[in-house]
Amino acid sequence: MMTTADLKAKACAEIDRLGVELIGIAKTILDNPEPGFREFKTARTVAEAFQRFDIPYKDGIGITGLRGDLQGGTEGPTIAVMGELDSLKVLGHPHADPETTAAHACGHHCQIGMMLGVAVALQAEGVLNHLSGRVALMAVPAEEYIEVEYRDGLRREGKLEFIGGKPEFIRLGVLDDVDLAMMTHTSSGDGDAGSIAFGGTNNGMVAKSIRFLGRASHAGGAPHMGINALNAAMIAMSAIHAQRETYQDPDTVRVHPIITQGGVAVSSVPADVRMETYVRGSRIEAFMDASNKVDRALRAGAMAVGGSVEITTLPGYLPISSDEGMLELYGQNAASLLGKTNVHRLGHRTGSTDMGDVSQLMPVIHPYVVAATGNGHGIDYVVQDYELGVLTGAKAMAMTVIDLLHDGAKHARRIVNEYDPPLTKESYLSLMRSMLKETTHTE
Amino acid sequence: MPTSQELKSIARAAIEDRAEWLIDAARTILDNPEPGFTEVKTSRFVSEKMSELRIAHQSGIALTGLKGVVQGGKPGPTVAVIGELDSLRVLEHPHTDPETGAAHACGHHCQTPMMLGAAVGLLVPDVLESLAGNIAFIAVPAEEFIDVEYRWGLHREGKLGLMAGKQEFIRLGAFDDVDMAMMVHTASTSQETAKFAVGGTSNGHVVKYVKFIGKASHAGGSPHLGVNALQAAMVALNALNTQRETLRNEHNVRLHGIITRGGAAVNSIPADVRYEGRVRGRTAEAIADANEKMDRCLRAGALTMGGSVEIVTLPGYLPMKNDPAMMDLFKSNATELVGEDEVVEHPRDLNRGGSTDMGDLSQVMPVIHPYTTAAVGSGHSTDYVVTDYDQGVVNPAISMAMTVIDLLHDDAQTAKRILESSRPTMTKSQYLSFQNSRLTEELYEGV
Repeated sequence: MMTTADLKAKACAEIDRLGVELIGIAKTILDNPEPGFREFKTARTVAEAFQRFDIPYKDGIGITGLRGDLQGGTEGPTIAVMGELDSLKVLGHPHADPETTAAHACGHHCQIGMMLGVAVALQAEGVLNHLSGRVALMAVPAEEYIEVEYRDGLRREGKLEFIGGKPEFIRLGVLDDVDLAMMTHTSSGDGDAGSIAFGGTNNGMVAKSIRFLGRASHAGGAPHMGINALNAAMIAMSAIHAQRETYQDPDTVRVHPIITQGGVAVSSVPADVRMETYVRGSRIEAFMDASNKVDRALRAGAMAVGGSVEITTLPGYLPISSDEGMLELYGQNAASLLGKTNVHRLGHRTGSTDMGDVSQLMPVIHPYVVAATGNGHGIDYVVQDYELGVLTGAKAMAMTVIDLLHDGAKHARRIVNEYDPPLTKESYLSLMRSMLKETTHTE
Repeated sequence: MPTSQELKSIARAAIEDRAEWLIDAARTILDNPEPGFTEVKTSRFVSEKMSELRIAHQSGIALTGLKGVVQGGKPGPTVAVIGELDSLRVLEHPHTDPETGAAHACGHHCQTPMMLGAAVGLLVPDVLESLAGNIAFIAVPAEEFIDVEYRWGLHREGKLGLMAGKQEFIRLGAFDDVDMAMMVHTASTSQETAKFAVGGTSNGHVVKYVKFIGKASHAGGSPHLGVNALQAAMVALNALNTQRETLRNEHNVRLHGIITRGGAAVNSIPADVRYEGRVRGRTAEAIADANEKMDRCLRAGALTMGGSVEIVTLPGYLPMKNDPAMMDLFKSNATELVGEDEVVEHPRDLNRGGSTDMGDLSQVMPVIHPYTTAAVGSGHSTDYVVTDYDQGVVNPAISMAMTVIDLLHDDAQTAKRILESSRPTMTKSQYLSFQNSRLTEELYEGV
């Protein structure tokens, strides 16, 4: 009879054995960055890896997503181990694609490496047979909620309903048979470099696609005949700032627009100016309240110049909370790999992830391997420690899967039993759909 | 029968004899500055001086105004000679009243002495006997359209109808018996190079009294429970600035204002913020267009914060229209006094950018509103000081007296000719209904 420790040792040894290949896959993805729902090369890389490791899979889920499945020796709960396919877009990042500006400035390329690492670890001789349940290996598109106008176009064409990969996976039923989920994100640090951080919470958000409509006119010859949509946007942004003092600290509200079209010719009064923004907060009520305030500011901009504004509010991501039972197992495994001093708990983080959506339906964890340096989403965010970023990250997850599913999956069953889901799939979908709002204001 | 030239010489000599008395009066008013509709001391002082000159007059017209009508030897048209009673408010002007901030930073203190000086010249019996018609000596309150909240309060109490001096004089009928009018304003060497300037025009305007209404709350403890009326005002004023590119240069639009209440305590979210503003422009249409733009911005501020805004628009001034024939008379008299090089005539459409309620009067009767360059510094600023009192008081008094003589001498043929050929833009009742139509109140709730 194999002990849990024996299984973990075998799993980790397999990751080490295939380490060069796993890191190679991560670096291949680094060199071929693709933003969400456009990860075609990346998806092919994952498909080739699934084929090479003899894992049956489906692809084209949510446009570019994949799911492979590993069946344990006996029946039991299903655990999803996820990696995210997509890159960000960051101009001037050292690994940016010069044509598209796509760049892995958030370390997702390591996630696929970690997910495949778990796959190979569980396929080590004898491991899978001793597990009760199934492991769903998921390569999920589009975690970064960017290119909102493009994705909203896909939505209008009926190719998507939601703008993020995991909400699409939920909607498409890819998680219907899944009981627990985990993934590991990279992070950067100085003081805590080389460590693993886990737990904590994240902001939720909605996104807005905004179009200020004015009237074009010669900007020198007849500005009085124009209605300046860029000025409407400027007023709206000033107005958004004026509202900030009304946000409560614990709600950690974030509103941070960009202008994606600011006019077409400097000599013509801008008549069509587009903005995108998120409205984030730690609670659904908080970011929905802020979202209403932002709408008022946008309307005020249009009102002041005598133009109009079209506001599309898109459901974004929900706040995440990690499952304590899973965290406890994960924390022990991480400590066994890196030592207790290199493992620490996180507090609230003000970014957002669609793993939050999954966390509303089932127990999840979303730890971080501190393998990068630089500022997340900045030009200097570079993964330095691939041993930690791919291999150690994979080992900690593989060990936790073994903890959960070994011994008749008693831990997984206990955790699932104790978990009280805030939302069902149906109530999740109706909440998300209620956030979608398209309005035009001429005041 | 003396010639007009002889009459002018008599009047001039009489005024020059009283020069010290007139200049002392100006200095006394300078030292007792009072803003519009509160010119109680100034009004009493001018009343005493009118009595000293034996001009029977009414007082308390439009609260502080004075008017005395003197009859010439024969009946004929009535010419008004006007002086303005009020001061501005300019903190730290060398002649500021430390308690009220009032200061004569626009030279009005010279105007009632000019009016008194003209009276000195015209009341010489030989002169008065030779004139066919009447001269109305008028001291008007409140040319500067300031203290908007106070005046709006007086209006609501029924103490004022229109909220500036000449406007209210017109409404009250104090100009009903006047056919034509003149006054002289001081100017600074920073604006004018010659001693006298005639012609030109001024902007019209509307006046805004705005109240942003929010909700008070502890600014540290619970800002989320407040609605910040000051932020609403900031958003509105930022928005207002973006409108500027839509304003046409030839409309000379000016959008400006002050915040008269910006919050009550720094640790409480401002719930009541007041803004007094001005929308100026060359034409009524330009003003209406810019005014709508200002209103949009004020509403946008309230909408942003989820508060509300009360916008009161008060009828302001109309553009100035100088009567060309009266201007020619004044110009030639001024030339006689100071020489050709010291009199400049501005083109009719030269807009000085500011506004005056003499513009209102110019819409209903022939008027002139020339300038006398007697000050240094920048108008309405701390350094605007009258330095040349001969040119500030005595010379304009003589020029006006001479012009009245031109108008009413010889059976008032000149005045009658001007009245026959002049075409007022509006009748009094058209004027009043136009102004009343510009008085609007709006409450916008931003939800």
